[in-house]
Amino acid sequence: MNKNLEKYYIDAGTTRTKILKITNNKKEYNIIPSSELKKLNILATKATGHSIVKTKQYENEVVALANGAKNYLLDDYVALDVGSRDIKWVKYQNKKFKDMDWNTACASATGATVEMLLKFYNVDLKDLKFTKEKYNITCGIFGLEKIMDDVSKGMEAKIAISKFIHGIAYNAFNFTKNPQKICLSGGFCENKCFIESLKQYCEVLPLGSFVLVDGLYGED
Amino acid sequence: MKKDIIGFWGYPEKNIISKIKSEYPFAKWIDLDIDYGYPDIKFLPENYCTIMKNIFNNSFFLKEKLIKILAPIGKDKCDSAYFASEILKKQGFDIIQTVFEDKCSDITKIKLPVSKSNLPLRKKVELITKNIYEQKDYSTLPQTKPSFGFWGVPPNDLSILELFPDDTHCYGWIRAVEAGYPGDFDIETYVDKDVPTIFFTQAFCSKTQLAKYLANKYEGLFVDIDTIPSNSSKAKIEAFLKLR
Repeated sequence: MNKNLEKYYIDAGTTRTKILKITNNKKEYNIIPSSELKKLNILATKATGHSIVKTKQYENEVVALANGAKNYLLDDYVALDVGSRDIKWVKYQNKKFKDMDWNTACASATGATVEMLLKFYNVDLKDLKFTKEKYNITCGIFGLEKIMDDVSKGMEAKIAISKFIHGIAYNAFNFTKNPQKICLSGGFCENKCFIESLKQYCEVLPLGSFVLVDGLYGED
Repeated sequence: MKKDIIGFWGYPEKNIISKIKSEYPFAKWIDLDIDYGYPDIKFLPENYCTIMKNIFNNSFFLKEKLIKILAPIGKDKCDSAYFASEILKKQGFDIIQTVFEDKCSDITKIKLPVSKSNLPLRKKVELITKNIYEQKDYSTLPQTKPSFGFWGVPPNDLSILELFPDDTHCYGWIRAVEAGYPGDFDIETYVDKDVPTIFFTQAFCSKTQLAKYLANKYEGLFVDIDTIPSNSSKAKIEAFLKLR
């Protein structure tokens, strides 16, 4: 059970759960696998995300993203969150909400797919390097097929996966309607290959994995 | 089994509705566009417009009870409906093809008591589609100023309409139906430009191009949903309603 003085702000994603614990105004950030969240028996003060178990109050993910990235939105960045299974973004103009979108159907070209590819081909994330070439992954499944084709023809898996990631970055740029500046939220902030790829198209500011929990806390 | 049902889709031409009503005064009218949960007979391709699939699933499930199907095939429905009507004819259904492409001479004078009312959005859409054959007078319903707009056709899963506030107005084909001009392009594409609007389309429907075009033009939110909306689809709509 929560101690009286503790507050928990939780972004429970499909694979990873981001937690901000506040104790006597002291902040503590943690990431755990979402499969373990249930075992912790935490009652969140406020939460967002598909995998949340118990919370006093639920907030929409795009609203949490907009709150967490508000300072950057006011500075004309588009806030983009690339998650395990979906991509969402929000844009302000003249200090007010202007536009947003959320890919709601195909999850075959997001974080979980990259994690599976790394495991499948036994490639370390830090070995991925930006490649100028990219796969066209309008359909992620076709993209996976291209990786398998190229690897079977002798291409190193880490190169093929990097091309796939460049494709994801290009899709994200198009999905956000080709902005000049993107501030990035989510696990892809740790993926240098993705950041480098996205930088081919616009200015990129990685904000890390805790944007949404900061947005939940900031609302309170 | 006694045949006692008149099936229809879209908005059949008014005079034909009146004629069939007088010929079969005790028949029950069933809107074949709607998902009643009847078995999927897999007649159409897997990835195809859910509304067209509903038409086939409902028609075959009710075949023994259907007297006739009134089948709009004009611009008031869609091209798929024409093919559906021809295929169903070959499958032994009694089909009356209808075309209801009347143009309104002055769209500023159309009456939209339900679309602009204070009823919950789902209730609005249900009343408008029911009124195709019931033809009741709703002119005394309290009217509202719109906080949001919902553009499109009645969704396969009407639960998404429950996300909207009651002062959401109906636009698109739903509005054109209430106005009595289901094939009037000007009514269908009319939008109040200052009202934040969600442009909904059923996946694989040809109206998708119209929804996308209008969403870009009026800076609304384009939403396409297949059979049942995912949590993300619902959350996307919720976010738009909260942030606007």
